Amino acid sequence: MKKKNIEYLISLFLSIFAALVIGAFIMWANGRNPIVGFAALIKGAIGSKYNIATTLAKTVPLILTGLATSISFRSGIFNIGGEGQLYLGAFGAALVGISLVNLPGLVGIPLALLVSAIAGGLYALLPAILKVRYNIDEVIVTIMLNTVAVLLTGYLVNYPFASDVGKLGATEVIGEGYQLSRLVRLSTLNTSIFYVIVITIIMYYLLERTSIGYEIKMIGQNPDFSRYGGINVKRRMIFAMVVSGVLCGIAGAFEVLGVHYRFLQHISPGYAWDGMLIALIVKNNPLGVVLMSLFFGALKTGSISMENATGIPSELIAVIQSIIILFIAGEAGFKSKIKGFFARKDGRKKVGEKNA
Amino acid sequence: MLKEIINLTLLQHTIRTATPLILAALGGLLTQHAGILNIGMEGMILLGAFFGVVGSYFFGSSLAGTLLAVAVGIVVGLLFAYFVIDLKSDEFIIGIAINMLAGGLTIFLLRSIFGVKGAFSSPDIVPLPRFSVGFLEGIPLLDTLFNNHTVFVYVSWLLVALIYVYLYKTPHGIWLRAAGEFPDALETAGVSPRKMKYISSILCGVFCGFAGVHLSLGYLTLFTENMSANRGFIAMAAIIFGGAHPVKTFIAALMFGFFDALGIRLQVVGIPSQFTQMIPYLGTIVVLFIVAKNLLRKKKKAIEGESYNE
Repeated sequence: MKKKNIEYLISLFLSIFAALVIGAFIMWANGRNPIVGFAALIKGAIGSKYNIATTLAKTVPLILTGLATSISFRSGIFNIGGEGQLYLGAFGAALVGISLVNLPGLVGIPLALLVSAIAGGLYALLPAILKVRYNIDEVIVTIMLNTVAVLLTGYLVNYPFASDVGKLGATEVIGEGYQLSRLVRLSTLNTSIFYVIVITIIMYYLLERTSIGYEIKMIGQNPDFSRYGGINVKRRMIFAMVVSGVLCGIAGAFEVLGVHYRFLQHISPGYAWDGMLIALIVKNNPLGVVLMSLFFGALKTGSISMENATGIPSELIAVIQSIIILFIAGEAGFKSKIKGFFARKDGRKKVGEKNA
Repeated sequence: MLKEIINLTLLQHTIRTATPLILAALGGLLTQHAGILNIGMEGMILLGAFFGVVGSYFFGSSLAGTLLAVAVGIVVGLLFAYFVIDLKSDEFIIGIAINMLAGGLTIFLLRSIFGVKGAFSSPDIVPLPRFSVGFLEGIPLLDTLFNNHTVFVYVSWLLVALIYVYLYKTPHGIWLRAAGEFPDALETAGVSPRKMKYISSILCGVFCGFAGVHLSLGYLTLFTENMSANRGFIAMAAIIFGGAHPVKTFIAALMFGFFDALGIRLQVVGIPSQFTQMIPYLGTIVVLFIVAKNLLRKKKKAIEGESYNE
């Protein structure tokens, strides 16, 4: 392994460790025993078949949105619009599921996934085109489009497609053929996990083993150089962005087809934001996304048990997560600060030696 | 029906709802001029709203709430600046991290300090006092429109003028703009761009703190989870809309406040409000598009002109 990678892994573990220590300190400041808290957290995440299943279920949208972020960030075009693409994808899948109710699953599920992929992909295409053709900042555009999508689906689900049973902010339940079967009793873990495994392998292959993946990486590192090297930078950027949107759309579809069996007005508690943070932490490495998603999924699941057992609010996990991202984002800066500090110290010592 | 929607109350609500947008946007435009895109405003407003309630509840005064919110704003502004300027982290990653941290931390503290989920309200939270401009009292229209607001409504208007003068008429303001546009030139002139960036970030934290306090101690005295409700992003939209010019940004924020207030009125009479709520977001994209297109046209013209001259 390269020295740079090892250095990165060390700072990654240090960041996570430091964030957990801060978490422990917050527990202690709240008058709780951190050891008891973390024990409950671990037990809640992997303590039983049901807990492991719940952790895996929570991992599904994180892996998809994490991979979506990886491909777009690698190519240097920043898709912050995952949340909006996820909502449109989820609604697209639900729309298929409530209008073609009697379709058998073999046809219905691929169709629903296709529609959600198209919805997510098209919604990412717009900012991509604005970026490459007009040089409009995609970060701002995708942030704005997030809220537009949430509002639009909020309208659709409360008015034209509202369920008959009062105003729930939900559509009717999708046809039975569309409902992905659950794998473990009481947990929401469903067959979407198998689709996710396949998608992950494809994405890994695409990013790490094909010339497209190589070009995308090149563009992200040095667009000018890539252009001179004969890469069609604009086309690759659009491709990366659309694939990113497709993955987010599919993440939304699985929430509908596998978890809720209907579209809900607030179907995502910010999965795309979590996925983005995950990708950022592992520097857009697809395998890293899977591992970090499992870790975040375990934290999320375990935090609920921790809350039940010890009364420590589960939101502590969100605090720990954001502290990890702060440390990772500051990693390079911290490193050069520390190096600078030692260099200065060294220098001073040498000066001192001379004087002596 | 139309009378129920468009009336004096609507305009009065516009002034109320626009105020946090104006305050946050004024803070954000300072960092924008200093060359930093701050998408952490959303989290900064949320923290301000929460700590405003904390201060007001425990010290029994809205001033204490405001001071606490401002103190937290300064801390977060410093944190943001330290990461972005000194550690050279990506500004939008830090912005997102601050938003996440604010979301998690406020809910966590809401539950560990007050022991409630979702929302906290109590008669012990002292609201901001209402102010009235004496000579407007008794003038029917102006009285309802411009009187009986929290102090931050007037502060926000005053700040628009102050920031305009500061940015364009004082040397310090010119330094701030230079820190974003020509940092090397500023350095040569003996002023540290780093210092100017720090100042802009801290001021942004303070103004977002004001915005938060106006939300939680203004017309309703309570804190609810994710109370900032995208206002940080709308403020960013206003900055883009107004080209980071204080007066134009102010007008944009007022306009977005109007659509927000209109949405609430529409909901009351049972008309879907989602489309009016979309206006700031879609409008921003349209503005960006128009600006970019003009820029392209100018570039094209410049290139054509060159070849003509040759």
